[in-house]
Amino acid sequence: MVFSSITFLYYFLVLLLLVYFIVPKNYRNFVLLIFSLLFYFLGEPKYILVLILSGVLNYYFGKLVTGRNKKLFLVLACFYNIFQLLVFKYTNFFIDNINNLFHLNISFLNIVMPIGISFFTFQGLGYVIDVYKGVHEPSDNLLYFMTYLCLFPQLVAGPIVRYSDVASSLYKRDTSYNEIAEGVGRFVIGLAKKVLLANVLGEVIASLVDVNVLSSWLNPILFTLQIYFDFSGYSDMAIGLGLVFGFKFPENFNYPLISSSITDFWRRWHISLSSWFRDYVYIPLGGNRVSKLKWIRNIFIVWFLTGFWHGASWNFILWGLYFGVILVIEKMFLGKYLEKTKVIKYFYSLLVIIIGFLIFNSNSISDVIIELKNMFFISDIPFTSKETIYYLKSNLVLFILAIVAATPLVKNVICRLKKTRVSIVLDILEPVIYIALLTLCTAFLIDASFNPFLYFRF
Amino acid sequence: MKNKIIVFLFVGYLGLFSILGLILKDKEISSSERRKLASFPKVELNNNYITKVDKYFLDQFPFRDGFRSIKANYNYKVLRKLDNNGIYLKDNYIFKSNYPTNEKSISKFINHLEKISSLFPDGNIYTMIIPDKNYYLDDDYFLNIDYNYIYNKVENIGNFIDVRDVLSLSSYYETDTHWKQEKLNEVVIKMDEVMNFSYYDILYKENIYDKFYGVYYGESAVDRKPDNLVYLTTSIFDQVSVKYLENSNLKEIYNLFKLDGLDSYEVYLDGASSFIEISNPSVSSKELVVFRDSFGSSLVPLLVPYYSKIIVIDDRYISSNYFMDLVGDLKKPDVLFLYSTLLVNDSSSLKD
Repeated sequence: MVFSSITFLYYFLVLLLLVYFIVPKNYRNFVLLIFSLLFYFLGEPKYILVLILSGVLNYYFGKLVTGRNKKLFLVLACFYNIFQLLVFKYTNFFIDNINNLFHLNISFLNIVMPIGISFFTFQGLGYVIDVYKGVHEPSDNLLYFMTYLCLFPQLVAGPIVRYSDVASSLYKRDTSYNEIAEGVGRFVIGLAKKVLLANVLGEVIASLVDVNVLSSWLNPILFTLQIYFDFSGYSDMAIGLGLVFGFKFPENFNYPLISSSITDFWRRWHISLSSWFRDYVYIPLGGNRVSKLKWIRNIFIVWFLTGFWHGASWNFILWGLYFGVILVIEKMFLGKYLEKTKVIKYFYSLLVIIIGFLIFNSNSISDVIIELKNMFFISDIPFTSKETIYYLKSNLVLFILAIVAATPLVKNVICRLKKTRVSIVLDILEPVIYIALLTLCTAFLIDASFNPFLYFRF
Repeated sequence: MKNKIIVFLFVGYLGLFSILGLILKDKEISSSERRKLASFPKVELNNNYITKVDKYFLDQFPFRDGFRSIKANYNYKVLRKLDNNGIYLKDNYIFKSNYPTNEKSISKFINHLEKISSLFPDGNIYTMIIPDKNYYLDDDYFLNIDYNYIYNKVENIGNFIDVRDVLSLSSYYETDTHWKQEKLNEVVIKMDEVMNFSYYDILYKENIYDKFYGVYYGESAVDRKPDNLVYLTTSIFDQVSVKYLENSNLKEIYNLFKLDGLDSYEVYLDGASSFIEISNPSVSSKELVVFRDSFGSSLVPLLVPYYSKIIVIDDRYISSNYFMDLVGDLKKPDVLFLYSTLLVNDSSSLKD
């Protein structure tokens, strides 16, 4: 099930809100767990046991890594979680590469990747490591731990919530109208990002089939915007739902498309994933407090894994290593130069990001090369076509809206206005805008054919 | 206070529509979209089940047409998009994009016509391709198929009748894909110039149905006035006998019960009929076989006065193995291929 569906919005969520706020507070975690499992079951009935097993095992690993032989159990926990990910996500990738390399014909396994496995595996593993490191105590309540790991808002596409972020809320949380209203607002904004921007941009991309220089640029630019609104919209919805049910999830995005460098971009894009790799891979490897050579090695290990985490395909590995190379260059010398510029750094970052998502969205490395040649006038293709101009004209307002929405402009204007007399008008308008957006999203869902969540495949 | 309003509005809004969705009776069909709506799926334990449930809730959502209209108006008026789901609005007309040009389909169409032509070795073969109304959309702004490509490809099949210059945008309904029967006299004259069926002026009576909401009306989801649908009658029609393969009760050229149905255009020759035989005793031994799509339904009645027998075949619904038995023995018939560019560009429905 996806948040941006009529089934979720008008039936699942309504029923959950009704049951959740009716039952005594002691039963609320139980209600959330049952609905979270139902949420997962409806989308992935076959693999519900993988999720439950992952939760139960990591709960007991958490207990075991505090006692005798704690190192052994930590290794076992790491092995189990990584093995789970390798089996379900990467087996066929390895078989394919072994077949190609050794000219073999090993049959692919009939495995469909369970939705959200990359997220709940990382949360489970992160929990055990944190208990081992003494960051927090192990959970003493299986029901509460399962509620944390299976909590439906963040279960299938993040953000990657750490146990320490929500531990106290699992035991005691008081939800006020302020928090619920904030959550509702955040959820509706996220839904609008997904349905009114990401989905519509996706439709435009699907229409741009003519190959010319202009469309070769438009495609990765629009895909960058689409994936940003898709994923950050999902994170907003998750964070909003978390607030409605009394949990404060970490922020996952901070206007990444206005980054002044790629180092800055990765502080703003999928923050919960980059901080996970930083804390559980980069720093344990020594981070930057080692020799220069080892430091560069650490960076490449982290970015290889970041790319590989996104998908069992070489283009994702290339995508991760691409950012690894850029980050090393920035850290060696380019970063200092960029800091001195006023405008160039933003254009540079955008260009690198756009090319990055071109790699991300390609089917093969040869496609990447063809696309880059098309973009930079190396191919013998026309500059534009009637079809491309049509889609550009027809969607110009949408593109402008999307570009503005990708910057903090609206947020800053609202913050300023809130300090003036106009704030009363804003208070009146706020609920009206939320209902208008909800109505518009419903209208687009009813009359739409394009509604996939891009990050569901990770 | 503001926060309470936000919470109650949000929950109230979701709750209201979910309750309405549960208590309102499910609809079987959408008259505006002219399609069957999904019913609640039987429980299955697989990944597709939730997709089917989603489809059911989408189809049965309360005030579905109203929401579709909100989306269309937002796209046209706020986003200033030139089309919504491929639907263009210009002046009072509604157009639907059939872009891009489908070369494979055109090739399949030509092969199909050549195959059928070979079934009538003694026949006089004529081809008439009716431009869809986008042809007259002279604005470079919109995406259109390559009409010249289509016409260049099809003009060598039999004797070609080019009617592009005798039609104009006003020959078509504003809310529908089809042409207007009352605007086809020039087309008949142009056909006679090639087919020599001895055209003469006939005084038709114009019967008007003023609530014709065409197929694009529902698809566009915007508010538009209905078209007037005119069906022409003459005393000649009283003498003819008509046999429909699928509807043996109907003996008339027009099925007036269809006027108030889902698609009023089906008044002409009962709409989607695979095989029709029209006999006119006042004309001696001049026979015509028409292979046609829905555009033919409104034109064929105007050819009735000039032929003793007209066999109308819609080869989207019947294959040659079957219709040749029904056609029987004909002596040097005129064989007319009468299709719109819409079908040429999407010929997947033609049966071999």
